[in-house]
Amino acid sequence: MKPGFEVRNSSSIIIGALILTVLLVGNLLSHAQTPDARSLGIIRLKVKYKSGGVTKELPRKRFFLIKGTLDDNRMLIDRIKQAEVISRECYYRSKGASLPLIRWLNEYDCDSVYCREIEARYLSGSDTVPEFQAAYNLGLREFKTPELARRWLTVNLSADIREGFYRQKQEVLGALVKQSEAATKTRVMSVMTDRKGTAYLTDIEPGTYTISNLVGSETGKTSILWACEKEVKAVNLAIALRPLTVSNEKDPKLKCEIVERPLPVCEK
Amino acid sequence: MANGESKRKGTQRDPQRTQRDFLCVPSRKPLRPLRLKIFILVLVLAIGTVATADQTRRRKAINKPPTQQRLPAPVKYSAFLHSSDKHKSLACNACHKVPTAWTAKRDFPDVADFPNHDACVRCHRPQFFTRQALAGSGPAICTVCHLRAAPREDGRFAFGKPNVTGQAIRLKDERQFTIEFPHDRHQNVIAATRPDRGTNQAVSFIRASFFESRTDDQKRPDYNNCSICHQRNDYLFIATRSALPDARTEPYIFFKTMPHSHDSCFNCHWKNQKPTSDDCGGCHKQTATFLASDVPVRKSARFNHEGGGKGGDHAVECTTCHINITRASTLRGLTPDVSIVSCATCHNDNKTITYKTIVTVESELAQFKKSGECQYCHTPDVGKKKPPASHEAAVK
Repeated sequence: MKPGFEVRNSSSIIIGALILTVLLVGNLLSHAQTPDARSLGIIRLKVKYKSGGVTKELPRKRFFLIKGTLDDNRMLIDRIKQAEVISRECYYRSKGASLPLIRWLNEYDCDSVYCREIEARYLSGSDTVPEFQAAYNLGLREFKTPELARRWLTVNLSADIREGFYRQKQEVLGALVKQSEAATKTRVMSVMTDRKGTAYLTDIEPGTYTISNLVGSETGKTSILWACEKEVKAVNLAIALRPLTVSNEKDPKLKCEIVERPLPVCEK
Repeated sequence: MANGESKRKGTQRDPQRTQRDFLCVPSRKPLRPLRLKIFILVLVLAIGTVATADQTRRRKAINKPPTQQRLPAPVKYSAFLHSSDKHKSLACNACHKVPTAWTAKRDFPDVADFPNHDACVRCHRPQFFTRQALAGSGPAICTVCHLRAAPREDGRFAFGKPNVTGQAIRLKDERQFTIEFPHDRHQNVIAATRPDRGTNQAVSFIRASFFESRTDDQKRPDYNNCSICHQRNDYLFIATRSALPDARTEPYIFFKTMPHSHDSCFNCHWKNQKPTSDDCGGCHKQTATFLASDVPVRKSARFNHEGGGKGGDHAVECTTCHINITRASTLRGLTPDVSIVSCATCHNDNKTITYKTIVTVESELAQFKKSGECQYCHTPDVGKKKPPASHEAAVK
């Protein structure tokens, strides 16, 4: 045995045991720890548009948050700017929808028949919507009670009339979101504006983002497409509460690409 | 002699030490008793920790002794599991017929009852009719649906809640399924803008479903929005509310229920619109790990939806404050939480639209520092907790 071997060996064991204990305790503690609360950002989005000299808020429209600047997303932006999306009225006319149905949808800016309750006055009398009346009559045979036939009316409408336009729009949006996610390798977040055109995008990783509706939103006589750039910082509520207002009017402080087109005249 | 020897020993250099000094090997003192004790203590602690952790892991992994584990568990035919291999391999409509004899139980077509006997008998004939099955208190399999295994026993468990007594794994609320519901898609499809006819339509739009006795003006149809599925709740019990320190109690009617019947779904998804009523798996997912809570956690049960000054500014669209709903593609992790951002938009000292006479986030936090409570919005159980970072950020 070398001189001092015993002493050195004992010290090594103590150090080894201490390291082992530290590792073990660390391992046990790591299970109880919550993930680090990172600082995330918020965008308070406010969407407005000017039409006929009056500025209005854009209600109930979905906006998407895409990672990267406008230049980073150039391919996507060029694609959405060039995309031709059929207007709601033209779609329904092409499917042979009646004028009362088109009027019924337009009244509440609805993309599908699910957007509002179908009241009894649309089933008979001057406000009759023929498609609803036919579906109601089928329902009467199937569900026996008039009230149930009315409440469940949409189950007897054809797919095109029911939500064909909405479905078509969702397919376009789905493809664009997929393209964005593939390009940025980041999940695209989306929110819908409320009746005052406000929406909150929360829990955003700090960075620069593109905010867009991807498909032009119909606003009376025009369709407006937005793609705006916004730098998001870790949250400071005072900053978060300052709205990011996007509009179809030029704002020198905001880097936006806006395409406003008149709605097409539909073929009869 | 002795003295002389001892003196020599005292002054005589240790030959080993001399050698170490010459070789520049650091000198080490022999292990002291205290160090030895520490060493033993640390070692025992380490071994103990390893042994305990290992045992806990083993206990979790092994519930039964190895001899029992090798044997297949005896099948309990009184305990029905949708998750058994055989049941999983079947389509839902192999057993469940849509609709059942609905007129007797519901006022709409529904899956309102257990499957017919045929659904069970076609595979489980031996469990119904063999001598062994009939011995004792009768075929145990009958008690999946029936209260007793007797030929004339009509009493049954409530449909959707079959007998699960004796089941090895008992799920929370005895449910074997959870529901998947994408709020985002449904928000898209029901999106509508009520035309502005010169009055504050949006306020009455919400109130129409909140009040029991409506005025003529409020007797307008309840257009599709959250209240289509989330009806007002007349029976909700919020434990914390009963312990409020003052008389300021807000009406229950603002709090909503979650849909508990197929009516809310079948009115659109009865047929044609996928997932249709015969595709149970379109919405119901088998689960052992996740079950959405039936009762939402109320963090601000004192919030008055009718409030917001003379203008009733609180009565806006639901999603104006419940900001996470329109982006939620699943119920997993979804809560109807209202972000402090929604409150601070108005209740903030730095804004021109601040309601000066009413509480602000700043004053509430200042109050917390004094009394340790935030009770203007929060009930005591929540209000006594340390405010989250988001609240602190509101006053920076």
